[in-house]
Amino acid sequence: MYRINNYNDTINLKLENMKLLRSLSILIMILTIGLGAVSCKKLSDADIQNEAQAALNANPDLSGVMVTVLNKVATITGTVEDEATKSYAESTVAGVENVVSVVNEIVVVPPPPDYSALDNAINAGLADALKDHPKVTATVQDGVITINGEIRERDLQTLMEKLNALNPVQIVNNATVK
Amino acid sequence: MTLSEKYKELVDIAINNKLSVNDTGKVLRIEGEVDTADIKDKMWEIYKNLDPHFKSNDVVLNVKSKVSAGDKVKVVTRESRLNIRQGPGTDQPIVGKAEKGDIITLINKTNDQWWLVRDNDGEEGYCYSQYLEPVN
Repeated sequence: MYRINNYNDTINLKLENMKLLRSLSILIMILTIGLGAVSCKKLSDADIQNEAQAALNANPDLSGVMVTVLNKVATITGTVEDEATKSYAESTVAGVENVVSVVNEIVVVPPPPDYSALDNAINAGLADALKDHPKVTATVQDGVITINGEIRERDLQTLMEKLNALNPVQIVNNATVK
Repeated sequence: MTLSEKYKELVDIAINNKLSVNDTGKVLRIEGEVDTADIKDKMWEIYKNLDPHFKSNDVVLNVKSKVSAGDKVKVVTRESRLNIRQGPGTDQPIVGKAEKGDIITLINKTNDQWWLVRDNDGEEGYCYSQYLEPVN
């Protein structure tokens, strides 16, 4: 009797163990799949990169900036007009979820200066400045006044003082001094 | 030799008079306001000595002498009389003439090029500022 009971107990114990094991493995499987699904979404560098690039593209000032992501580290490259924009691009990418750090390789290239306002101002004053020097002609480009024609030596300084007072970037004197 | 070295004499007088000096490597820019017309004239004299025909194309000397409304200004044309015009521009009709060496009154600086003045006959009009120099 005892032996039989004991035998049945053993069988029962084995059955219990198997059930437990099966439940456990199912639980582990569920956990693994679940975690895997979440991790996949979080871990894909390509997804992070897309999100970071979208964040950059949302700002027209950052249109020259590209981002690549490797192991959650974002590297930003391209050109911007000033240091402030370079820093702004970095913080924009750093703010994207799952980016752990940003390598900022952006190059600052200041835009070429706009001389159109200065050229207009110089041109406006040029006619009056040249009025007493009828044999002198002048052109203006990018703030540079270039004079041609001819001028008497004794009038040259007067003319130069007038032209310098127009605050040009440079004066190129190609005039013949007589 | 840098431009600051080439024009050292000019740079020294500029710094002494607290003018802005900027050597870009291509052009030496000296800008600002000096207390008297003598300082401005001295600077042009130095510049002319170093580059007699102003052919080096490496200096912008934009120096004005300090002057305020109500001050006396002297007509510094080379030989001719100075036109006094109805408005600020050489296209404006001439309303009077001032003799070379005349000392007249500045009413206001309309812009960098044209100043409103009153001559000794009480006539008012605009003169080209480069031919006027403050009397200190």
